[in-house]
Amino acid sequence: MYTAHARLVSVARRRRYYGGSPVSHSGGREPAVSLSLLDATMVGIGAMIGAGIFVLTGLAVEISGPAAIVVFALNGGVTTFTALSYAELAAAIPRNGGGYAYVREVFSAPVSFVMGWTRWFTYMIAGSLYALGFASNFVEFGHLYGFTLPGPPVLYALGAVVTLVALNALSTEASGRGETAITLVKIAILGVFVVFGLTATKVGEFDPLFTEGPLAVLPAMGLTFIAFQGYDLIATVTEEVENPRVNIPRAILLSVLTTVVVYLLVVFVAIGTLGADGLAGAGETAIAEAAEGFMPTFPLIGTGAALIAFGAVFSTISALNAVVIGSSRVAFAMGRERQLPASLGRFHHRYGTPLVAILVSAVVMLVAVVVVPIRIVGNLASLFSLLGFIIVNYALIRLRRRQPDLQRPFEVPYYPITPVLGIVCNALLGLFIDPFTWALAIGWLIFGGVVYFLLSRRGDIGPTESPEIQDPEPIPTAEQGDD
Amino acid sequence: MTDSEPHHLRVVVAGGGEMGLRTAELLSDRGHDVVVVEADPDRCAEISEQYVATVIEGDASRPETLRQAQPERSDVVAALTDDETTNFAVCMAAQRMSQVRTVMRVGHTPDELYTEFVDGLVFPERLGSRAAVNEIADGGVRTIEDIAGNVEVVEVEVAEDAPVAGKRLDEVRLPRGCLIIVDYQGDRIGGPDTVLEAGHRYVLAIESPVANEVMNLFRG
Repeated sequence: MYTAHARLVSVARRRRYYGGSPVSHSGGREPAVSLSLLDATMVGIGAMIGAGIFVLTGLAVEISGPAAIVVFALNGGVTTFTALSYAELAAAIPRNGGGYAYVREVFSAPVSFVMGWTRWFTYMIAGSLYALGFASNFVEFGHLYGFTLPGPPVLYALGAVVTLVALNALSTEASGRGETAITLVKIAILGVFVVFGLTATKVGEFDPLFTEGPLAVLPAMGLTFIAFQGYDLIATVTEEVENPRVNIPRAILLSVLTTVVVYLLVVFVAIGTLGADGLAGAGETAIAEAAEGFMPTFPLIGTGAALIAFGAVFSTISALNAVVIGSSRVAFAMGRERQLPASLGRFHHRYGTPLVAILVSAVVMLVAVVVVPIRIVGNLASLFSLLGFIIVNYALIRLRRRQPDLQRPFEVPYYPITPVLGIVCNALLGLFIDPFTWALAIGWLIFGGVVYFLLSRRGDIGPTESPEIQDPEPIPTAEQGDD
Repeated sequence: MTDSEPHHLRVVVAGGGEMGLRTAELLSDRGHDVVVVEADPDRCAEISEQYVATVIEGDASRPETLRQAQPERSDVVAALTDDETTNFAVCMAAQRMSQVRTVMRVGHTPDELYTEFVDGLVFPERLGSRAAVNEIADGGVRTIEDIAGNVEVVEVEVAEDAPVAGKRLDEVRLPRGCLIIVDYQGDRIGGPDTVLEAGHRYVLAIESPVANEVMNLFRG
């Protein structure tokens, strides 16, 4: 998945060194790397399916009981509202910066700073969530083969972050189609889980559905919302997508739909086989433990549950990689726009990667891995996702009002109902997240405010709006200039 | 733009014709953000297809349309339609809306007073004629830049039998109004010890009255 990163770099390099020469000669634009509809869809699915479903299913069931399936279904619906907004904005505004770039286009500097700051934090905190999920599933994977891995899981989480950061910081080498293959493997492993699980699923586990009361669905939705975050990564690679006007909106919507279907099947099987109580007890490794109950024994691999545990390890690590890239991209974009120190917005002269942006993001991830408990991490990541998505929906409404004549190749259906519903639902879910998480979130925002204030005082944040007026270059009249 | 490094610009291009679109593509390739304003709906769809700029459909000389392109948060407004009057109107309106730099395309020898109203003028026909001359009368001479006034920067290849071939620069009397800027490798500024090798190319600044004489010396 570090291919996305390689693309970022390749685009920047192409721009820097090859200027517009292919354009001015042929008239057609031929990007060096191009993503088909399938590839673009897989970028989104790859970032979404992974950590969330493996790590958070157990925690969601613990909160809401068998109604966790309702939780995932409703979250899918809520996500779709915002995904539609992303689709419209991405098709109309050709920028590689994702949500931050759109908001920068529509709002004043402080608002876009808040957007960038929250998106950045979302990716970083999601990174620590995935790292923790990776660690517990890795230990579980060892257990299945009878190994007891030494040391606390958090060490493996730190190791995973450090390794992926090093890979992304030092190299941009990766194959173009690798991402699609990795994502297909993840879906295939979950497919195996669902196929074998369906035979063992007992529908009786869902009766009664709301064991913890219908209202328990809301906090569980808040917690698991992060599992639907990642399709926006498509919006950060838009310029490499073939026929972008058509394919970007399709890729965004397809990736969300596919993910929702996969999640519902997986959660249905997990609850139907292991039961709500069993899942709740298993925590971050719930899916792998559910698999132990019904998976047959395969040659070579041994127990079928090992395959699922492997899927969890593999998925969390690839999702972690995606957010390492995602977070450095946002920091990079903010550095380029002078909303963070300019050094974040530069490529390293030797490695060709946004090294500073990656390292700074890594530090926050590592701190979060060590300090914050997993449930809080999940909540925090979800809360910041929700806040960011509220701003994106509002940006869509504001852009429709301010720029009615903007070309919109894809339009959100039932405007303005859809984005308004997006805002209301996201806000509602945010309200059901616990006060401690809010306190942490507000703390991060205040910290952001201080950073913004200090940077603007030091003059690092450029008022890009007031360029120095250059003296006009005189153009000679015909008598003077032509010989 | 107090930064010394390349700045990230937001540019409004009024007019999505061939010139507007190419300009948008070049700017986008360099990493700048571009908004194109174009009146023709079919053309808008074509530009939008290229995915290099946000596109606003409408007549840029109407303030209501221009405002949608947000000149107030842009660095430059470039009026590049093929109609000079429209371009002037766009630049004036944009300046009224904000402190933005304006670049205007002209179709004829520009009015001298334009420079008092807009920050930059583009005269494509004139640039085109230079390119035409390069193609027509190639012969080892290429105009690199048409600076201003009557000085031209050209790249000249020294012909085999040219008067200056093989001579050191301090042995040659070049006419006043001619300066060798860079030697053939492009790594040294021309000086008295520069040798004018046949078959090598040099970058020269030439005043037009002596252009003919210099060409004679270099091309034979």
